[in-house]
Amino acid sequence: MVRVLLRFSREIVDEPITSQVILEEGIPINILSAHINPQGGEILAEVSSDRAEDAIRAFRGRGVTVDVRELIEKDDERCTDCGACVSLCPVDAIAFRDDSSVDIDEERCLGVTCGLCVDACPTRAIRLIG
Amino acid sequence: MKELAESSGVKVAFREVDVVTTGTFGAMCSSGAIINLGHSDPPMKIGSAWMNDVPVTHPGAAVDLYIGATLMSETEPFEYGGGHVIEDLIRGEEVELRATAHGTDCYPRTRLETTLTKDDLNQFYLLNFRNCYQRYSCATNSRDEAIYTYMGKLLPRFRNATYSGAGELNPLMNDPDYETIGIGTRIFLGGGQGYVIGEGTQHNPGGRLGTIMVRGDAKRMSPEFIRGASFTNYGTTLYVGIGMPIPILNEGIAEKAAVRDRDIYTEVVDYGVPRRDRPTLRKVSYEELKSGRIAIGDRDVKVSSLSSLRKAREIAGTLKAWIEDASFYLTSPVETLPTETSFRPMRQTREAVFVENLVHGAVTCREDEAIGEVAQRLISRSVNHVIVVDERERLRGIVTSWDITKAVAEGRSRLGDIIVRRVHTAALSEPLDSASRRMAQHSISALPVVDGDGKVLGIVTSEDISRLMGGAGYG
Repeated sequence: MVRVLLRFSREIVDEPITSQVILEEGIPINILSAHINPQGGEILAEVSSDRAEDAIRAFRGRGVTVDVRELIEKDDERCTDCGACVSLCPVDAIAFRDDSSVDIDEERCLGVTCGLCVDACPTRAIRLIG
Repeated sequence: MKELAESSGVKVAFREVDVVTTGTFGAMCSSGAIINLGHSDPPMKIGSAWMNDVPVTHPGAAVDLYIGATLMSETEPFEYGGGHVIEDLIRGEEVELRATAHGTDCYPRTRLETTLTKDDLNQFYLLNFRNCYQRYSCATNSRDEAIYTYMGKLLPRFRNATYSGAGELNPLMNDPDYETIGIGTRIFLGGGQGYVIGEGTQHNPGGRLGTIMVRGDAKRMSPEFIRGASFTNYGTTLYVGIGMPIPILNEGIAEKAAVRDRDIYTEVVDYGVPRRDRPTLRKVSYEELKSGRIAIGDRDVKVSSLSSLRKAREIAGTLKAWIEDASFYLTSPVETLPTETSFRPMRQTREAVFVENLVHGAVTCREDEAIGEVAQRLISRSVNHVIVVDERERLRGIVTSWDITKAVAEGRSRLGDIIVRRVHTAALSEPLDSASRRMAQHSISALPVVDGDGKVLGIVTSEDISRLMGGAGYG
């Protein structure tokens, strides 16, 4: 599976673009989280690897900005492995390793559509990308 | 030691082990640094001073300052504070100093601006008056909204819990009767060496909530073990790393130092209730806390620490290495710490005001009533809020005079269409300060007062609060 972050500008946010891509292109898309208001929106979605390229082309063709990259960054110099972020993560993407250091699983992270951990970090070591 | 005592018994552990090293790394707000700047020319008796825009306190003669960890920057409040100034100095960075004074015959200077590094300071000592809490409560939140506390961010309705402390690795937990720790005990402090200089404030050894006061040369400390930190919407603080050697002088001390996480209990406390005595939900061991999940009622709640267990282990390990290579020598205390003190609440000569002191009967209506009827009730009762209740008087929503005006302007007639259903509420036992803070945060003018089952008991409005403040009967 490939994770894509879809960004909808204010001009296109009221159009049913995701449904169009699913129905017209026949690409199954799993929506993991979404944040949408009249000013614009972001959807984090999963697409199977073999259809990812088609999906990205279809969204881009409809004016959607598509990001396929890391969603979160932890500065390990700043991080003290305190764990203040761990209990906040709704998808268990943040956990302690066996040596009690804090690990963020970028594959699971919901990125800018969540962000619960960011302002809870006492040393401001977590940054959302994008 | 702990494993050995468990597998072979305390007698064997006592024979085999000379010293147990302990460690903790957590947010310790009652920390700070005392610095001496040296004299400027012409000299100045500093009245107010700022370091990197953080207003530092001036407790002494002319040029001594105390950088309290929780003092916040005037330009970046909540993000940068005294703890960060201390960390930056320890890192060797330049810090901007600004000072003003009233000027005297002997200290004529009234204004000063300069930059300083730790090398420019005559003294730079960490001087922390309450550190190393033996254990601490575990925090959770019953409210419908997330709250930001010194125990971190607490999600609504028990969706997470946080705790602090190293449990079985905590220094004071390994010598709970202060048989080896006392005034003069040499310790690992912030990556350097420091001393216990007394019991900390709020020291409560009987309740297993002991604390210590410490001092150490900050010029020799490391940013690995001293960190400025920010708790969103709460403020700034300092993470401090402390390690202590516990000499195993007899079997009794060995037995106590064999303590395990499963033997150390604390309480799960509802920080959603803004009172001094917050409700305790259950007891919990550090073993359960470190497992990452605890049960609260019938909920399975994620729990994580605010203090770093990895750093605590690193501190205990570093201290062990120092002792082994003879760069750290154990000391015998010159005075023991008190074991009888307790922590009492404040004497208050004026009681605070609570919601129950100001609540009054609410004007209510049912969801199926016509807007016109409700409008008439607003006028006849001279109020601005009508609370919508069900047949058992439970809260269903709220309608304000503004909502009614808007409905008339838009030609709506069904009350159901204009009810505000997500309503912030207050409890009878809530401090009025907390209720009025919530009204301000959400830009609302009234809070229905409800009991635990959502039954409406009355209403408290911003008008009531203004009237109370105007009458000087507040606080």
